[in-house]
Amino acid sequence: MEAMIRLEDLTKRYPGQAEPAVDGVNMSIPEGEFVVLVGPSGCGKTTTLKMLNRLIEPTSGRIFLEGEDVTDVNPNQLRRRIGYVIQQVGLFPHQTIADNIATVPRLLGWDRRRINERVDELLDLVGLEPATYRDRYPKALSGGQRQRAGVARAMGADPPVLLMDEPFGAIDPITRDRLQNEFLRLQEEIRKTIVFVTHDIDEAVKMGDRIAIFNDEHQIAQFDIPEALLTAPADDFVRDFIGTGAAVKRLHLSRVGDIELADWPTASTATDPASLRRRLTESPRSWLLLLDQERRPAGWVTSQSLPSDAKAAGSLAWPAPSSGGGLRTEPVTEAVSRDATLYEALDQMLGSRVFCAPVVDDQGALCGVVDVDALAKAIHEMRSSQNGDAPAGERTEEEVG
Amino acid sequence: MPTFLEILSRQWPRFLEESIEHIQLVLASIAVATVIGVVLAVLTYQHERAASIVLAITSGILTIPSFALFALLIPLPLVGGLGFRPAWVALSAYALMPIVRNTIVGLRGVEADIVESARGMGMSRWRQLLRIEMPLAWPVVIAGIRIATLLIVSIAAIAALVGGPGLGNSILAGLARIGGAGAVPLAVGGTVAIVLVALVLDLFYLAIARFTVPAGIRHD
Repeated sequence: MEAMIRLEDLTKRYPGQAEPAVDGVNMSIPEGEFVVLVGPSGCGKTTTLKMLNRLIEPTSGRIFLEGEDVTDVNPNQLRRRIGYVIQQVGLFPHQTIADNIATVPRLLGWDRRRINERVDELLDLVGLEPATYRDRYPKALSGGQRQRAGVARAMGADPPVLLMDEPFGAIDPITRDRLQNEFLRLQEEIRKTIVFVTHDIDEAVKMGDRIAIFNDEHQIAQFDIPEALLTAPADDFVRDFIGTGAAVKRLHLSRVGDIELADWPTASTATDPASLRRRLTESPRSWLLLLDQERRPAGWVTSQSLPSDAKAAGSLAWPAPSSGGGLRTEPVTEAVSRDATLYEALDQMLGSRVFCAPVVDDQGALCGVVDVDALAKAIHEMRSSQNGDAPAGERTEEEVG
Repeated sequence: MPTFLEILSRQWPRFLEESIEHIQLVLASIAVATVIGVVLAVLTYQHERAASIVLAITSGILTIPSFALFALLIPLPLVGGLGFRPAWVALSAYALMPIVRNTIVGLRGVEADIVESARGMGMSRWRQLLRIEMPLAWPVVIAGIRIATLLIVSIAAIAALVGGPGLGNSILAGLARIGGAGAVPLAVGGTVAIVLVALVLDLFYLAIARFTVPAGIRHD
């Protein structure tokens, strides 16, 4: 199958500069792939991106879009086929959100009704209620909402390709994390071919199906899936750029739903203290996870949180357990969803007194927990599958040779 | 001997007529200056050298004493002579600088990322200018037009010297027979009327700005 985007020896030289800004980039990106260009500043990643929609004209080399050589076609026509999102979003402040999103459809001469339907559809898609937001001006939106409107605008005429230039770079870390997750979910749905520039290797690992690392010589040092980049860096530059903690970064790559979860002793919130104590002594764990009727985690109990003289007090002194009174439980703050990454699970674990993260489904019901053992096992499997793959590849080559 | 106020009230129709002429002269000049000024600014705002040359020339015009400029125009064909035309030409020339300057500043002030995203979505250069850059620069452009108007409302009084229309005629008539009956009220009345004309025009521009600056970038 023909690649959605193919770059052949793409080079950019600026007059009066000895070094090219981009030096002979070759790349083939299949339809629906999310490719991240990453590297230090001045490495040529943004120049490469902007050559794709010819905001910067290449000095030499060819650009192919859906098999068609677009190196010399009319750039305005080309750009209407390629969505473009930049860091500062660049929404037109004098136009409403609806007018902003309608930009490319209007350039393409769509009729009014089709444009209106498309605008509402896109606002829904990016999670902005059309009735509320279509007639607002950009200044009335928060940074995160503007970013979403920018993504909607880039998808105006449903282009097959989206180019994104550090789209989450100017957003506070908490919102950025949420927008990244939202965008990944959106991408599951829309399956666009995406080229995404960032200088943040963690963002690259989190977002990309494949990552191209640019080096100081303005060339691609390595273009591979994140797992391969982290376990088998091609050279010292890549190793340095990934920096310390490659093993920890790998935790971004697996989702909690994909690993084997551990069992944890649980009890219903309706259980009386004596039974709780019995369960705790039987269990190897020192904490018990209480679940409500819908099996949602309701709290942690340990032997210390039970009344010390429960025997003497007897069940009469014990308030109705369902009311929760008297029982000192730790609230469950560390629950994660099944599509959380192992990194997020570890983060929750480190902040938890119990040192484990309960995993819940969409309804909030318990699926299992991630504890140290589960994590260690997952990491071990990741490592052995990577190490197992590489020699296998070499072996086939030997056999062929 | 009639009092100051009696003379002033007797001259009332004259002041009104001259005020209307004055406004017509000023607005006609502003119209020409706006067209020429905006075109010059659009052609040069992206080229540092060209822009500074245009600004130097238009500023240079402003330094010519108005009395001299009107007089210099008299012998010239087409643009010169006596009456409305030389006044129109001279005032248009004076009004250029604030308009060119503010248009250049306004267009340059449009954020680069906004222009880049317009370009990145496939807008033609012309459309970027008309739909994105101009509307965003508009508050600054209209401010330039307003300053230019205030500037030439007072200079327009000199037009009377070359036989032009406007309130300058009252002032000139008053000054010509200074010491005579009604001289001072005539000159003072003309001057006060010019101030009033300036105020009226200023309100007019506030209204224009209110209705033409896009809602998304208004500061209210």
